[in-house]
Amino acid sequence: MHELSLAQSLIDQLLDLVREHRAERVNRVVVILGPFSGIVRDSFEFGFNILKQSHQATDQAVLVLETPDPEYHCLDCAKVAIIPFPQQDERLEMALCHQAAKKCPWCGSNRLSPQGGTELLLNQLEME
Amino acid sequence: MCDTCGCQLHEHHQSDSKVVEVNRSLLEANQKQAESNRRHIEQMGAVAINLISSPGSGKTTLLERTIEALKDTVHIGVIEGDIETERDADRIRAKGVPAVQLTTGGACHLDAPMVHGGLHVLEHFAKGKPYDLIFIENVGNLVCPATFDLGEHQRVILLSVPEGSDKPVKYPTTFKGADLLLITKTDLLPYFDFSMDEAKDEARILKPGLDIIPLSATTGDCFDPWIDYLKGLLQR
Repeated sequence: MHELSLAQSLIDQLLDLVREHRAERVNRVVVILGPFSGIVRDSFEFGFNILKQSHQATDQAVLVLETPDPEYHCLDCAKVAIIPFPQQDERLEMALCHQAAKKCPWCGSNRLSPQGGTELLLNQLEME
Repeated sequence: MCDTCGCQLHEHHQSDSKVVEVNRSLLEANQKQAESNRRHIEQMGAVAINLISSPGSGKTTLLERTIEALKDTVHIGVIEGDIETERDADRIRAKGVPAVQLTTGGACHLDAPMVHGGLHVLEHFAKGKPYDLIFIENVGNLVCPATFDLGEHQRVILLSVPEGSDKPVKYPTTFKGADLLLITKTDLLPYFDFSMDEAKDEARILKPGLDIIPLSATTGDCFDPWIDYLKGLLQR
């Protein structure tokens, strides 16, 4: 994937915003990674934390990544299903009971079509 | 602990800091260039297609046969994306069509600024004659190209029979972004355990109503629906 280049474009946007607001540094930045964006959280965070060190304005910046719950449209009952991603500790348990396949909570169908969720947004910024 | 929000970051709610809501895409720079590419392509008189697939699924072979079928009536230009070599562009030029090779030197996808450069070279080749159809053959990869709008009008995904019919469900972001799915190398169906129903059903779960054309660019079998689709784009 290309997490490093996206992390670089985040740094570039932060530097522009710091200049625009005549601030000195970024303390905290909130980025929204859509659940279907295809971006690997850990790689993005890893890239950001290396690249931020090249600039005084970003070297203390804390990155907060938020991923909204994935939303699906059920092709059988036409209802909207919001199915949270399993947490790290739940994944092993799910794998052990073979429950990894997503099912519509309303009708049990597995014909779930992903809706939206491809966003990669610089959401909020705290500067001083 | 911070009194304002309970977080562990002591310094982040001090009085001299300010919070700004931005809500700007990290892909903004690419997106702006892509919109500009689209206008550029329209000024060149053309419709552009972004071809995406895994390596070796037959994108260049598809183009060779498409050019043979259309080149007497349609002015075609091709932008080829590869990590290295001019080989694909050479294959296209051998068919008598202008081709620009973009070598990414390792990058796994094309982006809009690279394609912008390619469009200028294509324009130079045409010496003022308008194009009808521009193909942008992306770097062979079913993951990264999905994220980058290049300024195309249609995105066509190829899935070849030897790759297996489970590709759509394994690479959902790419298949969800398709305007058309071509299932290529159908002449190899007797030799592979490929379920046409599985591939079609799973692609249409991701993108309900998706147009799907199975074809073989080697034998020319079922090639007409693809050519009709292209002619339909040109009449818009």
